[in-house]
Amino acid sequence: MPNFTEETISIAGGNLQVYKGGSGDPLLVLHGAGGNAGPRRYAQALAEKFTVYLPSHPGYGKSERPGWVETMQDLACFYTWYQEQEGLENVRAIGFSMGGWLAAEMLSMTGHAFSKVMLVGAAGIKPNEGEITDIFIISPQQVRDLVYHDPAQAPEWDELFGSDPTPEQAQQAEGDREMAIRLTWRPYMHNPRLPAKLGRVSIPTQIVWGENDNLVPVECAGLYQQAIAGSQVTVIPNCGHSPQIEKPDEFVKAALAFL
Amino acid sequence: MFLMRFTERAYVNYTEEDVRNSPNEAVRLTFSNSNFDPAEGHYLYNMYLDEYEYSEEVGFDGLMLNEHHNTPTCLGATMNLEAAILARVTKKPKIVLLGNPLPIFDNPIRLAEELAEIDMISGGRLVSGFVRGTGVESLATNTNPLHNRARFEEAHDLVIKTWTTPGPFRWEGDHYHFRVVNPFQTPLQKPHPPVWIPGTGSPETLIWCAERNYPYIFLETDPQGTQDMKAIYAEAAREHGYEPGPENFGYLVRIHVQDTDEKAYDVGKGYMVGNIGVGRIPLPRDYASPVGYGSRSDDPRFLRLREQIRSDPFRVGGLDGAQYDSILDSKRWIIGSPETVISQLREVMSFMRPGILAVWTNDGSISHGDTMRCLELMGQEVLPALREIGEELELTDPFQKEGVMPGLTAG
Repeated sequence: MPNFTEETISIAGGNLQVYKGGSGDPLLVLHGAGGNAGPRRYAQALAEKFTVYLPSHPGYGKSERPGWVETMQDLACFYTWYQEQEGLENVRAIGFSMGGWLAAEMLSMTGHAFSKVMLVGAAGIKPNEGEITDIFIISPQQVRDLVYHDPAQAPEWDELFGSDPTPEQAQQAEGDREMAIRLTWRPYMHNPRLPAKLGRVSIPTQIVWGENDNLVPVECAGLYQQAIAGSQVTVIPNCGHSPQIEKPDEFVKAALAFL
Repeated sequence: MFLMRFTERAYVNYTEEDVRNSPNEAVRLTFSNSNFDPAEGHYLYNMYLDEYEYSEEVGFDGLMLNEHHNTPTCLGATMNLEAAILARVTKKPKIVLLGNPLPIFDNPIRLAEELAEIDMISGGRLVSGFVRGTGVESLATNTNPLHNRARFEEAHDLVIKTWTTPGPFRWEGDHYHFRVVNPFQTPLQKPHPPVWIPGTGSPETLIWCAERNYPYIFLETDPQGTQDMKAIYAEAAREHGYEPGPENFGYLVRIHVQDTDEKAYDVGKGYMVGNIGVGRIPLPRDYASPVGYGSRSDDPRFLRLREQIRSDPFRVGGLDGAQYDSILDSKRWIIGSPETVISQLREVMSFMRPGILAVWTNDGSISHGDTMRCLELMGQEVLPALREIGEELELTDPFQKEGVMPGLTAG
């Protein structure tokens, strides 16, 4: 297993927490609204082929929030800054859920961010038929129950959720939720202008979705595909919103085939 | 001693099962309005207005209204409408709004206009309270809870400036932006109607009020904990060069009176389905206080107080799960014959020393007939006795204390 280290870099007047591990070309991994779960099994597997960068977004984990990061567009601006400073432009990237939305916002702003991108259960586009589940009027426990289609098939379930959170973890989860509220409150979890702006994207784009996603309807995979010319969709059957946790082997296989 | 009458104007025509079947088993926010019957609403709004009119007749100094959204526990979803009606149909009492939830308004100028109209129609009888609203208010109006306090403060500053500074002027704030602030109608009271702030003792709000010399109305807070809250207010007041007195504090209590203790005890059970709703099912935490709504201050004084507020078994919005008898034993609700009520109130007033007493006469399933009898007995026996107690304890109210707050010179 490749070793991951936890680094702190200084950027935009604050500290950013980044897990880094593996070797090879850089791969930037952008976590979702729930926070940075660290280098899980899928990240370890990807680190066999790539140098994986897994930052905690500003306001999440141990990362400080520069006062101006209030919206998803601000966050995208922050990350293009990060890429410039760290020499991580034109790299491969994966964005999960809200992190997928973040990657899409970056794609809409610059052609220099990524060489290839994978959007997984990405928020950011409003579904036509269904709705993106409002995670702010249900408890974190209820959110978790919706994220996983079949917890029994998630190999890291016990490790992640087997015991009650420590007070520190609970406080961290609260801070993470607060940051999600800051970024995605209104319009909720989407940007009405995003699909039009994605018309500029010309890099290889893979859209991955769990067939049984209860948070962001699988219909949104098709909407992303329509918005991004030449993009491809992979639907993982019998799987919920987080394929990288619920079906890591299948997910990694799809990721390596594309990246 | 300023005595004002209050009820939340409950709607109780639904069952515990209806609540259990609603999303998250919540009586607020997501409890479907298919459970509401507007024909019953027609009857209730008029009944509640009748009771407020009668409250003037029996001698209350003020008619207190409040506002909540997406809930059967309070029909006052747009309190200013009820206030406007009372401004017209009553003659003497103050119309005390506790309060307009500032953060949820995207256009506070409109609010400033409405309140100015109420003040003029009433002949300068408006007391304009402001609140942050519960989490439910934020969620119902899609106001980001993270910005609640900042929006409260900015909207307040904007409303006060709108009332006190000749327009037109521009406002470019963090949350509000207006190119031409110049509503033609301004309040009758100068410089502006009195501002009172109700709450359950958030230290930040206490200090904010003390800095502005705004009376703070404690909403059914634990009497012991209230002493600490008053100390926080007093400390901030002294830093601003004045010594607060009873005129800086109010207290809201459920007080129900009937001819006998036995009758009052039976009728008072109706409170149990007001406020927290039929079935008394506690609200989900994410409705009542979403992440981001509360303060993250690590001032140890604040943390201690916040813990105390949380651990109060009878805290407001809750009284969750508390049994009727234990609430009565603690004297948090005062229910009985005039004699019983007066004697218990003397005790409470001596300890709490509020210049403003908000009398929550009825709620929930207490009938109109019982409410009217309660109000009648209040007028005949309880209010006169309270005035004497007020005199004796020197419980000066804001209107007796000159210069204690802006807006006292007209009306």
